[in-house]
Amino acid sequence: MVIRSVDLRSDTVTRPTDAMRKAMASAEVDDDILGYDPTARHLEEEMAKMTGKEAALFVPSGTMGNLICVMVHCEVRGSEKQLLETLKEARYPSTKLICLENTHANSGGRCLSAEYTDRVGEIAKRHGLKLHIDGARLFNASIALGVPVHRLVEAADSVSVCLSKGLGAPVGTVIVGSHTFIEKAKTLRKTLGGGMRQIGVLCAAALVALQETLPKLQFDHKKAKLLAEGLNQMKGIRINVAAVETNMIFMDMEDGSKLTAEKLRKSLTECGILVLPGNSSRIRMVIYHHITSDVHYTLSCLQQAGQAIHEPKMLSF
Amino acid sequence: MVTPVIRTVDLRSDTVTKPTESMRSAMANAEVDDDVLGNDPTAVLLEREVAEIAGKEAAMFVPSGTMGNLISVLVHCDERGSEVILGDDSHIHIYENGGVSSLGGVHPRTVKNEEDGTMEISSIEAAVRSPKGDLHYPVTKLICLENTQANCGGRCLPIEYIDKVGELAKKHGLKLHIDGARIFNASVALGVPVRRIVQAADSVSICLSKGIGAPVGSVIVGSKSFITKARWLRKTLGGGMRQIGVLCAAALVALRENVAKLEDDHKNAKILAEGLNRIERLKVNVAAVETNIIYVDLPKDPKFIAEDACKSLEVLGVLVIPQTTFRIRIVLHHQISDSDLDYVLSCFEKLFSSVPEEKA
Repeated sequence: MVIRSVDLRSDTVTRPTDAMRKAMASAEVDDDILGYDPTARHLEEEMAKMTGKEAALFVPSGTMGNLICVMVHCEVRGSEKQLLETLKEARYPSTKLICLENTHANSGGRCLSAEYTDRVGEIAKRHGLKLHIDGARLFNASIALGVPVHRLVEAADSVSVCLSKGLGAPVGTVIVGSHTFIEKAKTLRKTLGGGMRQIGVLCAAALVALQETLPKLQFDHKKAKLLAEGLNQMKGIRINVAAVETNMIFMDMEDGSKLTAEKLRKSLTECGILVLPGNSSRIRMVIYHHITSDVHYTLSCLQQAGQAIHEPKMLSF
Repeated sequence: MVTPVIRTVDLRSDTVTKPTESMRSAMANAEVDDDVLGNDPTAVLLEREVAEIAGKEAAMFVPSGTMGNLISVLVHCDERGSEVILGDDSHIHIYENGGVSSLGGVHPRTVKNEEDGTMEISSIEAAVRSPKGDLHYPVTKLICLENTQANCGGRCLPIEYIDKVGELAKKHGLKLHIDGARIFNASVALGVPVRRIVQAADSVSICLSKGIGAPVGSVIVGSKSFITKARWLRKTLGGGMRQIGVLCAAALVALRENVAKLEDDHKNAKILAEGLNRIERLKVNVAAVETNIIYVDLPKDPKFIAEDACKSLEVLGVLVIPQTTFRIRIVLHHQISDSDLDYVLSCFEKLFSSVPEEKA
């Protein structure tokens, strides 16, 4: 039997398309530290425009994007990044920053609305704080909500946006903010070791991603919904379908069911479907543009697996 | 007077090297995968190759030499109150934004870099904190060397010297890290394989994006356990990138095609150095030009400030860097042609054959 490989671990597994590869091969480049790489500059200008911010900076990863943003905003020793729940307590050391995440991954790729983000922005202003948005999957939020990116992040002082997730570029994230913010971010990027030379190679692929893959995100959401609905109909599986707003599905097992996450992970592996390993009773699946008819394949694999577990075949003589 | 055709000759650094056609082709066709969730296959190939070249157990691709050094120092200096001994003119100390301190909490203990890039062995030994655990002292954990030593002019540290520093490190229970950004230059200039040069080192950071011309990246090498810790730190710092095979493919081409070309860069540096030294107002320590870096000393006269001289050279299309008030730095690389060299020499001759105010 031919086992096909369907990787649902994350949208970070996306590989560069032919168009991206072509763009990388012919990218105009220069030393982005000694001066500036022209393709990087083009990408940064594009991202700044899309997010409605003054300036942007390419960084190797979302982790570095967030790290730089938090460090620039909290540049006084003893600063504290505040999670929203504990905001109203008077705190020592001095609170400097609130961070939001849109879409919120651990909640299942949930979207934060522009109105909510604006309200948090107002609170931040009232208390003299900055607002940073971890927008790794910001474009997913924008597409799902039907709200332009710049509107979603209007209240934010800085945003970190991934290019290597659903958009499918091979590497990188762009952070956006004011000119002064980005100047400081540039120095910190160098200090952390994220200052790279001829990055036009990577930025060229990212520009293609913005052109070609961004419009496809809506289909990832449709596929995720389809898969979620199909799985939710299976005995023993429970999915909050309404909560599947973008490209992530959290699959839970019903209490008392013969189906366990462990058994399902095993079945998935046998079918060549990859999900993140773990002991959790929850299985996460992430959809992206390479996943096409794989949705039906995944559904049928799990349906068969589920059937086998619930009604094991009796040996007949 | 015939105005010369303006062309651009970029001698600011060997980091300006652009990917070649074969690199671009390799990048376009690279086999890739998510290097954070698993392993990118081309990255694995590169890392194996570089580990082999350096004679170490394992290797890891990083976005830059700065991160390579930062990670290495932080892995070795793994307790609060650690101290690292390094050259007062070393890249880590001067050009990496003090990251080992500001991010890593590691205290630097500098020792004077001699003209040849070394630090006196006795001075290094004197800098080791003793006794350990003294109420007043940080704990010395690491010695860092730099080969070639950039600020001293791309000088090669001899193997015997490195071995001696290694013995010193062992004697005091310290680790040895080599900032080998230009280790290939050292290897070619000394005629010694990289693995022999770095034999005494616990870790090395090697640049791919300098003289050998890959677009991005460095590789750090060390033991398997060192690299495991390094991987965690790389992710923490934000250097964990996804489909890096694209960049690693170019680096593999660089290793295959451009290491041998470094010898030409050294020859060109020597030729240019000799030519510049023949210009009356300029002085170049030609004997000290061991690899691809040249320092040109200008007359110590306000009319010849390096910054102004560099601006005048820029007008002629020659890009160089003012190293100090009266010193210009020139770095050769494989994308500098013979005719570029002639042009550069003629520009310097034009500029320095008369005193600036006389021209007006």
